[in-house]
Amino acid sequence: MDTTCKPQLMNCLMMNESTPPVIETHSLTKTYKGVQALQPLDLVVREHSICGFLGPNGAGKTTTIKLLLGLARPTAGTAQVFGKDIEKENDEILRRVGYLAQDPRFYEYMTARETLRFTARFFYTGPRAEIERRISETLDLVGLSDKADRPVKGFSGGERQRLGIAQAQVNYPDLLILDEPAASLDPIGRKDVLQVMEKLRQHTTIFYSTHILDDVQRVSDTVIILNKGALVAQGPIEDLLAWGQAESFTLTVKGDSAGVEARLRSQPWVTGIDTLSRNGRVCWQIRVSDPDLAEAQLPALALAGGVTICEFGRKTQNLENVFLSIVEESNHDY
Amino acid sequence: MTTKIISMTPTRERGWKMGLGNMLAKELAAWYRTRRWWIQCLLWLVILNVAGIDLNIRGDQTVQQAGSGFLTMAGFGLSIAAISMAQDSILGEKHSGTAAWVLSKPLRRPAFVLAKLFAIGLGILVTGIMLPGAVAYFQLTHFGLQGLTPVGFAGAMGLVALHTLFYLTLALMLATLFNGRGPVLGISLGILLAGLMILFFANTPELLLAILPWRLVMPLGGGPLVGYLALGAPLPTLTPIIATAVWCVLFTGVAIWRIRREEF
Repeated sequence: MDTTCKPQLMNCLMMNESTPPVIETHSLTKTYKGVQALQPLDLVVREHSICGFLGPNGAGKTTTIKLLLGLARPTAGTAQVFGKDIEKENDEILRRVGYLAQDPRFYEYMTARETLRFTARFFYTGPRAEIERRISETLDLVGLSDKADRPVKGFSGGERQRLGIAQAQVNYPDLLILDEPAASLDPIGRKDVLQVMEKLRQHTTIFYSTHILDDVQRVSDTVIILNKGALVAQGPIEDLLAWGQAESFTLTVKGDSAGVEARLRSQPWVTGIDTLSRNGRVCWQIRVSDPDLAEAQLPALALAGGVTICEFGRKTQNLENVFLSIVEESNHDY
Repeated sequence: MTTKIISMTPTRERGWKMGLGNMLAKELAAWYRTRRWWIQCLLWLVILNVAGIDLNIRGDQTVQQAGSGFLTMAGFGLSIAAISMAQDSILGEKHSGTAAWVLSKPLRRPAFVLAKLFAIGLGILVTGIMLPGAVAYFQLTHFGLQGLTPVGFAGAMGLVALHTLFYLTLALMLATLFNGRGPVLGISLGILLAGLMILFFANTPELLLAILPWRLVMPLGGGPLVGYLALGAPLPTLTPIIATAVWCVLFTGVAIWRIRREEF
């Protein structure tokens, strides 16, 4: 199995090298009872970035996060957070990190304020008034001020998630690690969380896993994609979107399209075609290996086949398309 | 933001103590800032002092029998409580995910276990040993038990505390080794109940009586050691006391070793 990424998807490693890395892993590997949850992983997250960490369920995202936090031990490889080794200097790392778990759990009998006070006391001894002021500020930030003195026991999933975000950043962390921060939030809650993340980026590096690709596209500047425990892509989000656009075209035609489709498929630079027929028109999503050649030849091939071209152009990509095509492609590689 | 950070004083605990103060404060608050402490006080006063002494003396037992029964009942009952609290404290947090949450903060794993050990130990010491012990001393003196001295009785209650500590550390250790409640409760309650069962067998191996805490509170091998201490008599042997203390240290050491290897 090829565990390396396609070179064009790995450009993040070369980008922004002047910005110091906050997270760096070198062949980080995790095996649970003979099952490789994480294949040798080399990733870099740079300072002040908002890095979306994507992958299907079971891709190894949570495992990676737990390894970085010292909640699990690597089977092989190393990783540094703020240049500190995750195994040997875990104490120093935890002092500068805020973490929200995928399914945040707190002591049910504590109120939201008590939970934040308990969290803050791991980082600060006082003064009490300053700690209380910070707690109030944090509660306000996540919109829980009116529920601050209610026990967590009665909180909804969304309120727990907000409390999770609050406790993760009560210590002004230099790195926020959020495992599915928008899960179980309604659209307004999601929007609020994204706003909080954008506010925090001035001071904090944010590394977060999510399945909500719209959110990633809205707030992230870099993206890392895992599939089946292996890194399949990492890079600035605009490069990733451009990569998808460059390799895909949309061609909509009227007329007898069967012969044209066969001719298109026979071209060596055509790597795949998805077909959609509607209202007497046929729309092809054509993936190609040579975009320049495709741009020049696709219309000519269609016209030569006797069809009328209604629409032709490079496919406008969103992250979801890119994500799906990268993951599907990597599945074929295994 | 930077000024806000400077305006708060960072914690200074390092090494194995990192986070211990905060975790211990939280564990103690779960006892003393809730109804738990007075419910425990009331429970042990009713079980040990009212049922264990008062009702027995008003029944057909002598004061000496009631006093001995109180110490055995305290050793047995408090150990069950310690097992129950210790296993729930660790396993409950492992299962609910709160252990993973707190351990993602600046909290060392040994501190996590020790905070629970100290808090449960102190909670039982205050509510189940010191308070009922003090009340029992006055009850037994009031009913005219001869030879009872405050120091001797405090020493006897100390042995009850050591007996309880054995089961507390055992259950804590087992809760770090296993993920299910079955093995934790089965093994620790099994050892405790075995101490009762062997009362019915004539020939218990001396080695077992020497290395396990049974003789501390159970009427085995010439009577419970707590009885000797309470009445100011010389102890026939120190071996079970020393062995129990060694077990407590060993169990705590294994619990700390295991929690450091745990993956969440």
